[in-house]
Amino acid sequence: MFKLFAAAKKELLLLRRDVAGLLVLFVMPAILVVVVTLVQENVSKTIGDSALNVLLIDHDKKFVGLTIEKELLASRLINVNKNDTLVKSDIGQARDAVAGGKYQFCIVIPEGMTDSLNNRVLDTVKQSFSKKTQGKHKEDTKNEAEKLIVYADPALREGIRRSIVNFLEKILLSIELEEKMVTLTRIFPEEIQKKYKEKIGPHWPMDLEKIDIPISLQWSRQSFLGVEEIIATGETLKAFPSTMQQNIPAWTIFGMFFIVVPLGGSLIRERQSGTLARLLAMPVSPFTILSGKIIAYLIICLIQFFLILIVGKTLLPMLGTPVLHMGPSVSGIILITLCSALAACGYGILIGTLARTYEQASMFGAVSVVIAAALGGIMVPVYAMPKLMQDISFFSPLSWGLTGYITLFVRGGGLLSVIREISLLLGFFIATTFCAWFTLFYREKIST
Amino acid sequence: MSDDRSDKKVLIVEGLVKTYQNSPTPAVNGLNFSILEGDVFGLLGPNGAGKTTTISIMTTLMKPTGGKVSIFGFDVENNPVQVKEAIGLVPQDIALYVGLTARENLRFFGHMYGLKGSYLEIRVSECLDFVGLTASADQRVGTFSGGMKRRANLAAGILHKPRLIFLDEPTVGIDPQSRSMLLERLIHLREEGVTMVYTTHYMEEAQTLCSSIAIMDEGRIIMQGPPSELIEKNPECRNLEDLFIKLTGKHLRD
Repeated sequence: MFKLFAAAKKELLLLRRDVAGLLVLFVMPAILVVVVTLVQENVSKTIGDSALNVLLIDHDKKFVGLTIEKELLASRLINVNKNDTLVKSDIGQARDAVAGGKYQFCIVIPEGMTDSLNNRVLDTVKQSFSKKTQGKHKEDTKNEAEKLIVYADPALREGIRRSIVNFLEKILLSIELEEKMVTLTRIFPEEIQKKYKEKIGPHWPMDLEKIDIPISLQWSRQSFLGVEEIIATGETLKAFPSTMQQNIPAWTIFGMFFIVVPLGGSLIRERQSGTLARLLAMPVSPFTILSGKIIAYLIICLIQFFLILIVGKTLLPMLGTPVLHMGPSVSGIILITLCSALAACGYGILIGTLARTYEQASMFGAVSVVIAAALGGIMVPVYAMPKLMQDISFFSPLSWGLTGYITLFVRGGGLLSVIREISLLLGFFIATTFCAWFTLFYREKIST
Repeated sequence: MSDDRSDKKVLIVEGLVKTYQNSPTPAVNGLNFSILEGDVFGLLGPNGAGKTTTISIMTTLMKPTGGKVSIFGFDVENNPVQVKEAIGLVPQDIALYVGLTARENLRFFGHMYGLKGSYLEIRVSECLDFVGLTASADQRVGTFSGGMKRRANLAAGILHKPRLIFLDEPTVGIDPQSRSMLLERLIHLREEGVTMVYTTHYMEEAQTLCSSIAIMDEGRIIMQGPPSELIEKNPECRNLEDLFIKLTGKHLRD
């Protein structure tokens, strides 16, 4: 065991001597987080141009429900699913499906929404011809608008969420206006006739121009229909997450995976300088040699994560962003961080084994991490990608790490909710480390 | 002397063959030799003769295609740990961490040999003193001259007091002063009874240091025995270098 500590200590000592390298490892990801978070703070609130998966549950099944469905179906930005038999009968399950990321939204149209709208519009229109309300804004007897319930995925970018809610409010407004106009058109002749009869009575002919018909179209500005947004995770989160909770974990993982360059590079330098051969001629197992490196770089990753948390908690709020909230599961955060760091180390070791030169390792390592980050939803959310890219994104370890963090930070999940991501990251670490071990200490020994 | 030691063969190589992947000819082709305790065995040959491949197999770094190597009675393929504990390697490259000081390098490699505590510190100091690096012990190896690096490279190979040391061209690329100092240190080790396998392109070094040599070419041993005996058997050769050129030819090797 003390050989393992000696190997790890040696790596840390070498890293400590490389001040420029350490600056790159610690400062660059922190700068990246600050810059990208600030840059995306506004951008992510305003952009929303992707096809979203929306679950529609229509309990109304009349004019309002059918019109909303028709308008949603007509939008190219939304994929409407109204036949999910697994969840459509149960609001709780529908909510879980949104919380789990299967759908970005679930829209529930309450039963009787059309009837309620019809009655309230009729009352309002009739009151327009009433003498009592002449010259006044008439307040609806029922104060609250009939709400369309929208369950939203907390991981959704704020801009996209707001766009959808605005879109729904526009649909509801047009429905309400249409209903008012239809009702007015229907009621107007009857009321006019009635008023004329009241005024003219048996006295005929009379100067019609002098007859005053009391009509007031100064309706209340209060909407009869509205949208109520609910976070799909229910009680776990009290408010929709800020962009900080989405950006910081994303760029933290990105920075973490960039240790593949120095880690892979250190292995190549050992191979090229002959120190690895010297070590392999000593009574020390290849496992100890690799583990020493992994432990040292794992510590680097954890310090990196800790520094970024400090930036998110203190520095960024001083620059005007919201404070970073990390959700309720400390154990989940620790394990996801540990496993993400291990996955990054495993990948670094593998690159250091497969690459022949430092240049190969640094180029391939850096570019492959950027590609994996793009695929993994670090730059653009996975749900905003084309279908093919969404399918490919599953294979990016950065996507597993990010999903884990989003589940914990944004969806308010616990340790159990990220077991899948932890397993995938651990599996990736084991597979890459095994491949590196096989290539470095078994295949080369036999075949070279 | 040789009769007394005849039963103390510390290294036995039998029918050793190594063929690299995609190579039509073997790099090492049927080597047979043995080394007695206290011997300094010179493995000489032009570039590509198979010296480094042979050393790699003997130090467990490479698996042979055929044949057998045993060190202190342990088969290198089947008992690599026992072999590794008994041997020391001074590789051709400066196999040290340039970002660490000489002392930190030795301390780390000492740990890898299982040395600890005050014994490790004593051995580190002794080895630094042995190669004349005590004054520079706390300087980074990256700042060392070529000769200092070579000396530190030797120190790292003798930390754990190995009974058999493999030295792969330990004096290559350094000035005469450093070379002379290194040779002096190796002679000192020989006098202490340490067995060594030594490869070099400097024939005068081999003639001075080695009790027995094998001249290799194209993966085979073409002549072996004590240097003085070999020169005696070839009276037209004034020294080992003449003999070497006679046996391996004057054409360039790449």
